[in-house]
Amino acid sequence: MKEALELVCRVPAHPDSRCWFLAWSPGGGLLASCGGDRLVRLWGREGPGWSCRAVLGEGHQRTVRRVAWSPCGSYLASASFDATTCIWKKQEDGFECVTTLEGHENEVKSVAWAPSGTLLATCSRDKSVWVWEVDEEEEYECVSVLNSHTQDVKHVVWHPNQELLASASYDDTVKLYHEEEDDWVCCATLEGHESTVWSVAFDRSGERLASCSDDKTVRIWRRYKPGNEEGVACSGTDPTWKCVCNLSGYHSRTIYDVAWCHLTGALATACGDDAIRIFEESASSDPQQPTFSLAAHVPRAHSQDVNCVAWNPKEPGLLASCSDDGEIAFWKYQRPEVC
Amino acid sequence: MVGPGPGGGAPLENANPLIYRRSGERPVTAREEDDELADSIDDREIFDLIRSINDPEHPLTLEELNVVEQVRVKVNDAESTVAVEFTPTIPHCSMATLIGLSIKVKLIRSLPERFKLDVHITPGTHASEHAVNKQLADKERVAAALENSHLLEVVNQCLSARS
Amino acid sequence: FFPQISCQWYCSQKYETLDLTVYIQCNCRIKNEFDTLANAKILLSDCLACDNCMTSEEGARVFQQNQKELFRILNLNKKCDTSKHKVLAVSICPQSLPYFAAKFNLCVNDAAKRLCGFLKSLGVHYVFDTTIAADFSILESQREFVQRYQRRNQEEHALPMFASACPGWIRYAERVLTNLVTSHICTAKSPQQIMGSLVKGYFARQQVGNSDLFLPLYSSKKMGYCLLLFMEFTCALFCVPQNLSPDKIFHVIVAPCYDKKLEALREDFYTALYNSQEVDCVLTSGEIVQIMEQKNVSMKDVTEVAVDSLFDEIKEGDVVRHDGKRSDGYLEHIFKHAAKELFGMDVKEITYKALKNKDFQEVTLEKDGETVLRFAAAYGFRNIQNMVLKLKKGKFLYHFVEVLACPGGCLNGKGQAQTEDGKPDKALLNQMEEVYAAIPVRLPETNMHVQQMYQDWLEGMDSKKVQETLHTKYSAVNQTANNLDIKW
Repeated sequence: MKEALELVCRVPAHPDSRCWFLAWSPGGGLLASCGGDRLVRLWGREGPGWSCRAVLGEGHQRTVRRVAWSPCGSYLASASFDATTCIWKKQEDGFECVTTLEGHENEVKSVAWAPSGTLLATCSRDKSVWVWEVDEEEEYECVSVLNSHTQDVKHVVWHPNQELLASASYDDTVKLYHEEEDDWVCCATLEGHESTVWSVAFDRSGERLASCSDDKTVRIWRRYKPGNEEGVACSGTDPTWKCVCNLSGYHSRTIYDVAWCHLTGALATACGDDAIRIFEESASSDPQQPTFSLAAHVPRAHSQDVNCVAWNPKEPGLLASCSDDGEIAFWKYQRPEVC
Repeated sequence: MVGPGPGGGAPLENANPLIYRRSGERPVTAREEDDELADSIDDREIFDLIRSINDPEHPLTLEELNVVEQVRVKVNDAESTVAVEFTPTIPHCSMATLIGLSIKVKLIRSLPERFKLDVHITPGTHASEHAVNKQLADKERVAAALENSHLLEVVNQCLSARS
Repeated sequence: FFPQISCQWYCSQKYETLDLTVYIQCNCRIKNEFDTLANAKILLSDCLACDNCMTSEEGARVFQQNQKELFRILNLNKKCDTSKHKVLAVSICPQSLPYFAAKFNLCVNDAAKRLCGFLKSLGVHYVFDTTIAADFSILESQREFVQRYQRRNQEEHALPMFASACPGWIRYAERVLTNLVTSHICTAKSPQQIMGSLVKGYFARQQVGNSDLFLPLYSSKKMGYCLLLFMEFTCALFCVPQNLSPDKIFHVIVAPCYDKKLEALREDFYTALYNSQEVDCVLTSGEIVQIMEQKNVSMKDVTEVAVDSLFDEIKEGDVVRHDGKRSDGYLEHIFKHAAKELFGMDVKEITYKALKNKDFQEVTLEKDGETVLRFAAAYGFRNIQNMVLKLKKGKFLYHFVEVLACPGGCLNGKGQAQTEDGKPDKALLNQMEEVYAAIPVRLPETNMHVQQMYQDWLEGMDSKKVQETLHTKYSAVNQTANNLDIKW
């Protein structure tokens, strides 16, 4: 029987080190990886496999924890344990570090570009989330410092088409922020996870959010606007995000990443039990109480913890994953027919 | 001889800890001497790795302070898991996280990469048990800690062999 | 053997009606009415000085500054062991008063008098206004700015000059930023620090001078009588101590923010000789309101009592403030002073221009079509960040910046006007801003007491004593000490 998730190839991307994170370029042609070797690498397709196109070095003094592409694809931001975020600009012959954003007091854990490309968010163990604005002269200015979390902030991600920011934290919560008057404010706190929330992902519409945690569960949250038909209570003018699904019992260790494919709707997870799992929403399920089922499970996807899963934004079913073993794996996913 | 530790002249939190007798050396079996056969990793082997770790404050090992005991080591070689519980000498010991980190680092450095390591405080023996366990289980925090040269120096002193 | 008694202890209004003999003999049995009060938990603000940078010792000492500590002293003062008695002085920040006024719907003068009456009803001996300390701080900052401006071409770090009044900002600069930034901070002490010197230095000394004659520091006739009786009694029986040493005063500051609690721990605030901090305890305005609530006291029902001054026989008159909308007014006073001193221009009105956001505003002085002074008010962490980033890049073009950690300035301190969920109470804040703006302005130069103190106490304007008393040094602290307690 054909497996739903099939290995395409493996690349020793960050040998003798950890590979922490992967990010597809907006056009889907390049994959950026980063790791404990303090490097960012770019990968492109070569024949049936993938090869390294560029190495972005000398930007960081410590582990590079996450990378993010600007929506235009001309810039790459890298967040590092050295407390800085580097902005790399595409040149004719590769990428050059054009700006270093300083200000966080310790490890920067995540960076994300807003859909407009003019806002950037970073977060850190210093418990803060920062929003930066970039002007035409490529000058970055801090427009807000958000101190809503009480612990280490692990991940920041923007809504796919609105200026709404989500952050996940060691304090077991997810928080959402938007601009109000001339500053940013926390407009929702998603409580329910019983341990560190490692990652969050919006679905294509942005009406739902998936979060994964050290409590070995994935939770799906849905936005309810004030005056919604379902009668979900909202405070004031802010929508409420309600947990509508809890995927528990599938994972045996910490879930480090969750990725919601905007092309197919499939939900992939990266787990500390070395496995990759893919969930599909049942077509017949109630939107207020959706049910998800396990569509694919590769128990030994990597030889160590899987840190990240990333769906290609243009090619349906193309999934990349990376691990503490330093490798990147490319997978082909086909939705099983029984699903 | 190990000095008073990198804490310098600071007063010790637990100035007179109970000192326990060290266990004997592990007997080597004939099977282990046969290089042809693969050895499985057992509790005693893990215990041997961590029992000689130095306490950050006292010139004593974790075994001598009864912080680690062989009965609190659980290995499942087939499933590649190692679980260690350690017992701080006093419930408010501020060194608990550092001791746990030293144990974790020792195991990371010594064991094959396939192993999943869980280092916990013996339930009910520390005031901040949950917080310490959570921090030790966070591999991102541990990875960042090991890039902090000051902290790494302290950990390495705990792991250095006594002469 | 009789315990030593210093006469001041018995002078307070609290005890004036007590029979002194009885009081001395048996007050140990007085019920400890404060024991059950004030258990409210302190939450450190996260404006700038979040607990990230605090050591556990500092955390414990900040935590200790709560209502219980005040009551501990009040209770000790009620007990027989007079060696443990202390003079209790409370100094109120001008940015706290609008909170009490707006919250209880009072005019600011009534609010000040009722707050004073309330504190005295608890057993506090003196209630002061810290505006006079801000006078000193502003005057010293003005002079330093002109000097720095004149040295700007010789000295790399002369300009810009950053204001030193906000403890959250100072803490952040010293803990996180480098000497590249701290060398730009004005060396004038903050109003809180100066108030500490005024109370434990100047005020205490005043008492020393008087004690030679056994004259009471109180002027009220009722009390004078009471005291005379008492002194005849004590002079005959006891050896009366000659002075009021700093450790015999317990100095409380009522402030709009929590960061001032951390500031009170500063080493330059400490007198080793007497093992005494110049400010012993900082309580936020909100914490004072909690005391009122716990004691079931309404501001409306409290008797008005005039606020004390540091000078014998004088009570404070109506509340005054400094120029400037939301702060102690450093920007406006320094701007006007510099325009006059450096360019001979009299500036009447100051026009703020909001730039990136409402908490980053610019004020400029034009002369002959050229911008000669460029000042900014940078409030809140984000604006501080951008300022520091630009300074590092050499792109920061201001001469002076009034830096405050809280967006919106001191009225928006986290120790007052917060809703239950820890957000600013905007309606109340608007009211407070109106109250504050309505307070009449008094120029620090026109405060005759200040001029007098420069002569009598500080030995002139340019004396060594001015440097010692009104200035300090701000520098980056190296945190990588040999320390096992590394946070990771």
